[in-house]
Amino acid sequence: MKEEFLLGNGALAIGLLEAGCQIMTSYPGTPSSEILPEVVRFAKANKLNTAIEWSVNEKVAFDNAFAAAISGKRAACCMKMVGLNVAADSFMSAAYIGNIGGLVIISCDDPGPHSSQTEQDSRLMARLGKVPVMDPGSPGEARDMIKAAFDLSEEFQVPVLVRPAIRVCHARQNIKYDTLESNLTKADFKREPFRWASTPKFRFLQHKALNEKHLKISEKFDTFTPFNMSTREKGKSYPFGIVAGGVPTSVIQDMFEDVGRTDIPILKLGAPYPFPEKLAESFMDVCDKVLVIEETDTVIEYMLRDRHKTLGRLSGHVPMEGELVPEKIEGVINNALIGCGLSPLTTSDCGAEAMTLVGDLELPVRRPTLCPGCPHRASFYAIRKALPKAIFPSDIGCYTLGSNLGVVDTVLDMGAGITMASGFYNAYIQDNVQKPIVATIGDSTFFHSGTTGLMNAVYNDSRFILVILDNHITAMTGMQPSITQGDLVDGRKGNPIALETIVKGCGVEYLKVVDPFDTKNMIQTVKDAAKYVNDPGGIAVIISRHPCVIGFKDTAIPEKIKVSVSDDCDDCGFCHTRFECPALVRNEEDEKTEINSVLCAECGVCLQICPTNAIERV
Amino acid sequence: MKTINYILTGLGGQGILFMTKVLATTALNKGYNILGAETHGMAQRGGSVVSHLRVGDARSSLIRAGEADFLLSMEESEAYRYLPYLKKGGKLFANAASNAFPNKKTVNFLDKNGIESHAMDAAKIAMDLGSPRSTNLAMVAFYSAFDTGPLGADNLRATVDQMSPGPFKETNLKIFDACYDTGKKMAAR
Repeated sequence: MKEEFLLGNGALAIGLLEAGCQIMTSYPGTPSSEILPEVVRFAKANKLNTAIEWSVNEKVAFDNAFAAAISGKRAACCMKMVGLNVAADSFMSAAYIGNIGGLVIISCDDPGPHSSQTEQDSRLMARLGKVPVMDPGSPGEARDMIKAAFDLSEEFQVPVLVRPAIRVCHARQNIKYDTLESNLTKADFKREPFRWASTPKFRFLQHKALNEKHLKISEKFDTFTPFNMSTREKGKSYPFGIVAGGVPTSVIQDMFEDVGRTDIPILKLGAPYPFPEKLAESFMDVCDKVLVIEETDTVIEYMLRDRHKTLGRLSGHVPMEGELVPEKIEGVINNALIGCGLSPLTTSDCGAEAMTLVGDLELPVRRPTLCPGCPHRASFYAIRKALPKAIFPSDIGCYTLGSNLGVVDTVLDMGAGITMASGFYNAYIQDNVQKPIVATIGDSTFFHSGTTGLMNAVYNDSRFILVILDNHITAMTGMQPSITQGDLVDGRKGNPIALETIVKGCGVEYLKVVDPFDTKNMIQTVKDAAKYVNDPGGIAVIISRHPCVIGFKDTAIPEKIKVSVSDDCDDCGFCHTRFECPALVRNEEDEKTEINSVLCAECGVCLQICPTNAIERV
Repeated sequence: MKTINYILTGLGGQGILFMTKVLATTALNKGYNILGAETHGMAQRGGSVVSHLRVGDARSSLIRAGEADFLLSMEESEAYRYLPYLKKGGKLFANAASNAFPNKKTVNFLDKNGIESHAMDAAKIAMDLGSPRSTNLAMVAFYSAFDTGPLGADNLRATVDQMSPGPFKETNLKIFDACYDTGKKMAAR
């Protein structure tokens, strides 16, 4: 027996391997990214035969796992919640068709949001796709739920969604685990076209069969302890009860224990869909009012179906947006109790006085920024210098932070840097305006969702500049390998694919490759590309290639250049607004800029940007 | 045991996650259950980073405002930012010039809530001893000198010893000892 201080994502990995998951696919995305590398780590340590891959995107990951599951193997795919949108086309059909070996989808939610575009609730996707869903409250519970999810998936031949929220994924907990063993089930796909390739007529029948399964699963969920359970005592009735799911359940249980409150029953719904009707009804029957606390939407609240008894988001008792952090839950419960004429849990102001004090201190705003030495910063500097008046559609990755530098105007979803560039072109050219447009996208995002948009742009004769920011890695989510390098998740070498091949294959004729650290050359390249876009006309692609300074620490900056700021600094602020390197720090007393040598990556790019040449080589 | 709550904070890149690991490993070695919450992804890129660590049998990883026993901050501004987490009678340890900390606006709040605050220029000590990046360990050592909480200075030092990679071990321990001594002198005052 070993014990480790594991990330929730590590606990999920243990759960997957304990359940005998044989095939595991994923595309990285916070907060899900560490699940797959942890699976690799444990699989290696235990010499398991688990097949594990970073897929090109979430839909690919899903389909891959689905095929394994209908071949009789246990398979899983994991992603962040917006990744499930990418896989949605497959996800919506999967429950109708069903599976043989267990199929578990892990979709990690980000209430807050901390590192995402939305606060969407994967449980709603589960309802839409008619896929049973589980919602863990802690890393330990997440591990247990994975095993239960596989069993459920095989028992009912239906995929199961597990949705850990960020406070499960990025919580850490000491977890004990035993030696793990390989699952040796062999692939055995049985041809059954009416099932695996069914036509609409049969889909109707599959839908009907799925609904019947749901009734049975709902009954199972009525007694699905410890994931679904109530603390009410038989024969007792209550003026007030709480229904909760996922992370909020853990917060509420801790809080009640802290204050020693036992007069309010809690109904925990860790498996809320198909809805455990009888369990919920018996709870509602004995409570005068019920407060629903769940993240991030109103899944349980809708399914309780009682307008008179239910307090929650729809009644204005629970905030409609933002993470339900413990002090917020404390405030919500206190207010609801007081509103029902009962004594509150605590008399605390939930940190309000201290928060006002902190607000009045006018602390520096700490917005996320690109790392010192980041090649994206150099690319953005050059792009803006060359075409300051362009529209800058961009994409999802570290380089989204180019918004700080005024070179990212739009971020919609993976791949939209390119597709929106087409859209901007169409909108302007209709008015006979040749608007300069420079789209940016990272290498990993380009492979994920960029090529379709690029083919579409070439086919429809759109005209814009596309800069592919090729840092050889998926950086934002924690340095997962990119296809340009061809490294696989377990360290083996796969087959790298050159961006140039893909770009040309999409029909692009104008292609240049630059190193953004040479800002002068990149500025000129962008200007030349702008000329080409209008005459002879077409899409101009620039690959701005330089390895990530974090992911390739030893090689990204081959020549270290130490710099300092001379007295010529006239505090113009140009380097702060247009370059924003964390190592360039304004000394408030001297009213001059200085180099923070601890942070400085010694890339030397700032030597090329100061308008008064005050940054000098040491 | 009642759960003991630590808030560790600073800026992205200052090694808050490693600092959390040192405390957590020490707690684990002493046989406690531990639960923590970390910052990853976009929020990690140079922004304000906070890590919650709960020693005991909690189920939820986040510490509720007003419930932290200890706040360890790598940066003066971040020490202020996370003040709402400290409970009445909690203790605050900051990497800051001690004569200017805490600022006047905050003193009343700290006094009213019986919060002790201690500051040391940990970054300077770490820099002088040759490893500015070890400021996180310097703060752990400083905290340990006040002999408060369930972890114990000797145990924390042993963890730093165990977790520091070969070439950094000697420097890290030197920094640990220097900061422990500085803290001890302050604690004796």
